[in-house]
Amino acid sequence: MKSALRPSLSALTIAVVGVLALASCASTEAAEPAATTASTVTIEDNHGSIEVPVNPERLVALDNTTFQTLSDWGVEVVAAPKPLMYDLWPSLVGDDVLDVGLHREPDIEAIVEADPDLIIGGYRFSEIYADLTAIQPATIEINARDGEDHASELKRQVAILGQIFDRDDEAQQIADDFDAAIADAKAAYNGTDSVIGLITSGGEIAYAAPGDGRGVGTLFPTLDLVPAIEQAAEDTSHGDDISVEAIAAANPEWLVVLDRDGAFNEEGYVPAKELIEGSEALANVPAVQKGQVVYLDPNFYLDESIQAYTALYAAVAEAFGAAK
Amino acid sequence: MSTVATRSARRHSRWALPCAFVLVAGLVVASLFVGVYDLGRDEFGGEIFWISRVPRTIALVLAGCAMSVSGLIMQLLVQNRFVEPSTTGTAEWAALGLLLTVILAPNVGLTGKMIVASIFAFLGTLVFLGVLRRVALRSSLIVPLIGIMLGAVVSAFTTYLAVSTNLLQMLGTWFMGSFTSVVRGRYEVLWVVGVIVVIAYIVADRFTVAGLGKDVATSVGVHYDRVILVGTSLVAVATGVTTVVVGFLPFLGLVVPNLVSMIRGDNLRSNIPWVCLGGVAIIIVCDIIGRVIRAPFEIPVSMILGIVGSAVFITLLLRQRSRG
Repeated sequence: MKSALRPSLSALTIAVVGVLALASCASTEAAEPAATTASTVTIEDNHGSIEVPVNPERLVALDNTTFQTLSDWGVEVVAAPKPLMYDLWPSLVGDDVLDVGLHREPDIEAIVEADPDLIIGGYRFSEIYADLTAIQPATIEINARDGEDHASELKRQVAILGQIFDRDDEAQQIADDFDAAIADAKAAYNGTDSVIGLITSGGEIAYAAPGDGRGVGTLFPTLDLVPAIEQAAEDTSHGDDISVEAIAAANPEWLVVLDRDGAFNEEGYVPAKELIEGSEALANVPAVQKGQVVYLDPNFYLDESIQAYTALYAAVAEAFGAAK
Repeated sequence: MSTVATRSARRHSRWALPCAFVLVAGLVVASLFVGVYDLGRDEFGGEIFWISRVPRTIALVLAGCAMSVSGLIMQLLVQNRFVEPSTTGTAEWAALGLLLTVILAPNVGLTGKMIVASIFAFLGTLVFLGVLRRVALRSSLIVPLIGIMLGAVVSAFTTYLAVSTNLLQMLGTWFMGSFTSVVRGRYEVLWVVGVIVVIAYIVADRFTVAGLGKDVATSVGVHYDRVILVGTSLVAVATGVTTVVVGFLPFLGLVVPNLVSMIRGDNLRSNIPWVCLGGVAIIIVCDIIGRVIRAPFEIPVSMILGIVGSAVFITLLLRQRSRG
């Protein structure tokens, strides 16, 4: 009995092992194609070189300066700071996209829940970089760095995105358009007109120092503009307290104005145009008299992408060109 | 001997007020001639004088009087030397009122905003007084602590509202006490607080009696509750209007009345001119400092007030103690 049982048992064992082996073969066969496409690429982010997946399946994007590019390329995200995005990028904020919340109170749990393969952190969210790397080591920060040439920083950023999403040509095209807009603006500028950058918010006018700040300040070094007031900034993101009198005294030929509240479409806010062109003290300033005031796109403050800068340089080029 | 001494003291005090007045008038004139725009530069210099300098100086005078007299009234009503609109929650309630108007009825004009802010300031002060009546321990330190706590609760709620409606940046600009944006057409409503100061002067004696406590006041025939109500409304309107037009002006209401009381005792009517002069002098000096040290930029007067005010106050307290 015993001897008769043994072979049958071992045969059974062999059969079971065989089935299992077949099953595992089948499963590896099924997994293999995915494994081969999910390759990685080494990029240089703000912290050094890092290996990240190409075309990550589960992307969490927090840096608003990347949203336009991601949206244009049809990239899908699994979590994003929805309150920061308003209605500007509908393709990125579908109902199944988790909300990370604003940078002041980020919902880190939402990022964990999103189970990302890659996180694009940085800029407003740079404070939680350590938390992000703990969730997913493949976390990159590619926003423009302080103290670097702003234009090259924007191009570097889009080039990195091109590497990650395997769209090097498109990235190059975006960079070329950007360069062309800058070249046009440079060509249209007469090289001598004085310019002041301003930021308006809450009915107050603030000064955006050349070289610093958001948007407006970066135009000065890129275009070699002549500043009517030359002073380093104390508050780079919100501008410094300045009186209309000081602007009048500087007598600028041009004003470039970021209307900070414009993006929020709040009723009853005082638009930059009213603050500046309605100001008695500024009535005698050449910029106002000749209508040489460039207002940034109201959404610029939320966007700040390379595409937004391209549009800004194009607008500046057009304004300079029209004044000639 | 003693009669000679009092006579000389009286002669001394007879000249003191005119002297102080001349001194403060000197500061007012100095304020008119401090600024970035060179008034003699072109014919527009004269315009700038009327557009920017005169309104700013008038606003400084009115706000300085209003906040220091408000502090004085509050101190008599609560019988505590450490209260003023910003340590009783009054200013915080005014801010909440202003924010609510902006959110719920953004198109309401400046007058509407001020009315709502004043009503909130009034209700807030009543809440403070109500809480105070139910507190058994009313030592000189507990009273302002209660006010500061109430104020903190209210401003926490205000901040929450601002965060959830994307108005946080504007909140910062609004309530930062600053005269930078005061130009012709944007300060005139402050004349209302001038009227408040005059009313305070007329009913001054009642406040002085109320300052002796409910029992004393009632026994000399003063309707205590009515006086409290009138005083609270005056403070509420002055605080509401000042908060809407220029923002928080800390310490003014605390430092100036204390200075005057230390020197002259507690007769409100004869103290009001001194309190006004003191308030105007301090706010103008602080504003001139703010305008000069980073010209052509400005440092908000509230910041300088905070520094100068606390330094002056601590020095006074220590000197008082060392004298015994």
